[in-house]
Amino acid sequence: MDQSQPKITEELEKMAHEPLLPIEKKLISWSIILGIALIIILVWVSHTFFEV
Amino acid sequence: MAHSDSKPGGARPGLSEDWLALIIGMFIFLLSLLQFTGIDIFGWAITTGIWTDITTALKPVSASCAGLPNIIYLMFTFLFLLIILSIGAALMRLNVRRFALGFTAVFFISYICWILGGCAYIAATPNQLDKFGISWSLNLTSEAGYIIALLVGLVIGNFFPGVGRRIEEAIRPELYIKSAIVILGGFLGITAAEQLGLATSVMFRGLCAIVEAYLIYWALVYFIARKYFKFSREWSVPLASGISICGVSAAIATGSAIKARPIVPIMVSSLVVIFAVVELVLLPFIAQNFLYHEPMVAGAWMGLAVKTDGAAVASGAIAESLILAKALAKDGIQYQPGWIMATTTTVKVFIDVFIAVWAFILAWIWSVKIHPTAGEKVGASQIWQRFPKFILGYMATFVIVILLAVFHNDLVPMTKKAMGQANVFRGIFFVMTFFTIGVVSNFRKLWEEGIGKLALVYVICLFGFIIWIGLVISWLFFHGVKPPIVG
Repeated sequence: MDQSQPKITEELEKMAHEPLLPIEKKLISWSIILGIALIIILVWVSHTFFEV
Repeated sequence: MAHSDSKPGGARPGLSEDWLALIIGMFIFLLSLLQFTGIDIFGWAITTGIWTDITTALKPVSASCAGLPNIIYLMFTFLFLLIILSIGAALMRLNVRRFALGFTAVFFISYICWILGGCAYIAATPNQLDKFGISWSLNLTSEAGYIIALLVGLVIGNFFPGVGRRIEEAIRPELYIKSAIVILGGFLGITAAEQLGLATSVMFRGLCAIVEAYLIYWALVYFIARKYFKFSREWSVPLASGISICGVSAAIATGSAIKARPIVPIMVSSLVVIFAVVELVLLPFIAQNFLYHEPMVAGAWMGLAVKTDGAAVASGAIAESLILAKALAKDGIQYQPGWIMATTTTVKVFIDVFIAVWAFILAWIWSVKIHPTAGEKVGASQIWQRFPKFILGYMATFVIVILLAVFHNDLVPMTKKAMGQANVFRGIFFVMTFFTIGVVSNFRKLWEEGIGKLALVYVICLFGFIIWIGLVISWLFFHGVKPPIVG
């Protein structure tokens, strides 16, 4: 990155604060809940139907 | 890696690295299939092994091609790659002369590193000491050349940036690794064809592992970046994708999905590349020490934890070599080569496939819920646009070889020979990937840029939980799954 390009520090300093929106909270929580639920199902499926 | 694939000045953009990797990989794969017609098409391709006398380090892959000095076979191999890659450079609308000069340096520096890594005192495993008549070795296996190439690349990238700039047209780790992965598909296909039940199980478990990784990793990193480090959405999305999914391509794809300024994912990507090198150097050795009883867990772990395609598949290759050597030395078990790397590659390929899906989901949420724009629609065509095309090549070579082996069992020995010869080029693309990853990993420049806060999130997330959740997920799905034992 040469002199004319923005530096990471400058870009980070310019960053405005944005509180978490309800849709972001929903995305995060549903993603984690689905992930944990799927662990149980997928581990069972892989050990039951794809035994080695 | 932040190369433009088009000429400045608004000229028509050239072929992308993705498509080019698919074409190069498929071209080498299809040529290798000429074995079936009795033509030993790649018999002259040069290989290197472990040596105590450097004059014996090189030999052509096919014994029937011996006769000329080995340096001539090395030149044949170089010229073959130079020609097809220079045609590729022209299709990408690069400066072909600069590319050819750069590639010449990349090829020979990488290959010399590979040869040096084969020195028996560096590479020989304990069971090989008697064979080579030596009393000690670093036990780094024949993949030690990859580490040497990486170190030489790092020295050039950080201490001789002028040299790096002269050859930058050919510093394309993504192109080399993607071409290698397409060729690898055929090699892994023939390995899988002999154990179809195990291969199916590995693929299903790999798919499960990445579904988990996406859902848990991304959400956690995004939450930490937003909540505790107060990053904006524009920064948090590429950062979460870069740290949690698959480095550079994920950061860029999801960054553009939420319409972040291009500079943001590029800055994140530079961090991704640096930390991928750190992981590449550390994780295979950790896996060797603690996971040699669970080789497939180690393979999946490399795919989940190490970011960027190049570093991940490379880590899988090194982990495989180290673990096979340790399992043989400690337990006297000789696992069949290919399965650990196949697990890493399977996980990585599924991750790449899902980048497009994840980018589509984020694009939809952002356009509909966060920054709704009147009349703007997010079409499913975006999935195709963002789909990493080289994956198609990997799938094609893998499926073609499996079908050949299943429906024409008599062709298996010939297919093995053909894939073995194509695999020579995979090895060369690998070592060039290591070298070029080193060259693009400019630690000094990033330090001067002031990466503090960004690097802190990266370190906390990566070493705090990404690596360990990846290990737990790998363990859940792959513990007890073992590669076939030789003999």
